[in-house]
Amino acid sequence: MTPDPILRLDGIVKRFGNFTALHGIDLDITEGEFLTIVGPSGSGKSTLIRLLVGMDEVTSGSIRLRGQEVQDTPANQRPTCMVFQSLALFPHMSVGQNIEFPLKIQGVTVSERKARALELLEMLRLPVSYYDKRITQCSGGEKQRVALARALAFDPEILFFDEPLSALDYRLRKTLEKELKDLHNRTGKTFVYITHSLEEAMVMSDRIAIMNEGRFVQIAVADEIYGAPVSRFVAEFMGEVNLFEVRGAQTTGLMAQDLQIHVNGNAADMGLGLDPGQVGTLMVRPEYVRFLPPGETADFIISGVMHADYALGSRIQYEVKVADGRLLTVEKLREDRFTGAPGDKVMLGFDAESAHLIHEGADGKI
Amino acid sequence: MKPGKSTRIALLAYGIFTIAFLYLPLLSVGFASISKARYLTFPIKAYSTKWYGKALESASVHELIMTSLKLALIVTAISMVVGFFGALAFARYHWRYRTLFQKLIMLPIFFPQMVLGLALLMWFNSLGIIPTWKTAIVAHLVWIAPIATLIIAIRAYSFDPALEEAARDMGANTWTILREITLPLLMPGVISAGLFAFLLSWGNFPLSLFTTGADLTLPEWLYAKMVAGYSPLVPTLGIMSVVASFLLIMLAFSLRWLVRSVRDSRAAEN
Repeated sequence: MTPDPILRLDGIVKRFGNFTALHGIDLDITEGEFLTIVGPSGSGKSTLIRLLVGMDEVTSGSIRLRGQEVQDTPANQRPTCMVFQSLALFPHMSVGQNIEFPLKIQGVTVSERKARALELLEMLRLPVSYYDKRITQCSGGEKQRVALARALAFDPEILFFDEPLSALDYRLRKTLEKELKDLHNRTGKTFVYITHSLEEAMVMSDRIAIMNEGRFVQIAVADEIYGAPVSRFVAEFMGEVNLFEVRGAQTTGLMAQDLQIHVNGNAADMGLGLDPGQVGTLMVRPEYVRFLPPGETADFIISGVMHADYALGSRIQYEVKVADGRLLTVEKLREDRFTGAPGDKVMLGFDAESAHLIHEGADGKI
Repeated sequence: MKPGKSTRIALLAYGIFTIAFLYLPLLSVGFASISKARYLTFPIKAYSTKWYGKALESASVHELIMTSLKLALIVTAISMVVGFFGALAFARYHWRYRTLFQKLIMLPIFFPQMVLGLALLMWFNSLGIIPTWKTAIVAHLVWIAPIATLIIAIRAYSFDPALEEAARDMGANTWTILREITLPLLMPGVISAGLFAFLLSWGNFPLSLFTTGADLTLPEWLYAKMVAGYSPLVPTLGIMSVVASFLLIMLAFSLRWLVRSVRDSRAAEN
């Protein structure tokens, strides 16, 4: 029996004129979890978060916060708070005044406000001297922390984030992702984060909800979304992937449509079989594909020609041209690097346990 | 980017030319105001400051200045308030007739002031209102309030709507948002609009000519004296008017400086 959700969305629909941005969203958010909603731009995630904090009105459906319907409650009367993409720090106020703003609205006394602001500065690892600093004098990362401190000062039931890290450079973003996750652990609050960056989602979240064209296509923990996507869209959205169109076959369980894949045994026995005539997509991530030296074998074997290699830092990515002319992607750690040269014939292999079968018709509806 | 040598010389020459073009006429009026002679002649043979003394003593000059000042101050105050809300409607909020509003509000600015003044006078007459300096307030506002609105709107355009949303999200109601966020952020625009409103009203002639009735403003008096009955008081009051405007701008700048330094020192104390 799962505990009652802190937030329950029931059939949320949002229309702008003739355009339907959200087609009936259902979602339960558990107290204390870090949920990330990921989707390409235009998928409706920003629209959804604006409804959740009360900045826009739902067309139909209900939002229940701890069982209480709040979809018609304006933003200033909801106990939730959002960190904006632009951060929305007040430029005419100091760092301290920004952090104290929600407390001032709540009528907290001046001395109590200041004590709380200093506490939050410390929590966000900003020097106490920043209390009097002007917002315009803060760096990008410092502004992030001030915005977080201000949102925490509000002490929301749920803290929402609208891609607050998207404007920062790569290294700072990586640091702040970890800090945010750490902050989530320390505060124990419910965090709902939206982003178009899969990496951000994977690093921070307990659960990830993938959104496309105004619908959730999969909601699961990061490992499941990465390893067992429900559709081609999710598989491709979650990073580099090799996809093979397959159909059921008598003796081998399945066979590829336009490509020779040697199946070592029967795929059905490995849990990847399709009924004869049924079609689907076989998926394997690049890091699970091996270069097979002579004499070694795997559940699935494909032959090809080494095409190109790209250094990705700790890993190296290879492109191998296969029979139907397309390029398969293989990724290896530097220590396991391929020793041959482009133009060499190679045998690629992967095992059933690292592959995943997407059934046809899994077009993203859940 | 640092300009090349020839560009620098050209820029300097252009700058000097522009300043000379703008200020030489003013300088000649300045000389005329300290001429001892009864009539405007060049070159000036003898100088005196007696006309400044006369101007300061004259009761009618006092009355002129008071009328112009009252008119300009009231127009300024109303323009700032109307302009503030007008700018929000103009730039901040999306509403159905916004583009129409944006176009209509520009029209009075492009309308020839003489015609506007005459039209207003006829309108006052048909309503049975006897024109005084008070009716001129309405006339000035028709022309100046749109300008104030535009000046504040420029500021409002650079305003991130998320700031108001964030304040609301943290529990602030509409009135608190206006007081704590919108007004302070638009304040520099409101101050500039106020300065412009004052200067435009203080120096306005065509609208005042038609709508002040029996009352006289400074520009009206200057014009009347130039057309008939020149006196060296004309350049004297002209210069005094320019100096007053200049002092007002200086006052605004020093106020801004004062507010900033108070704010910074208060921040430093904490």
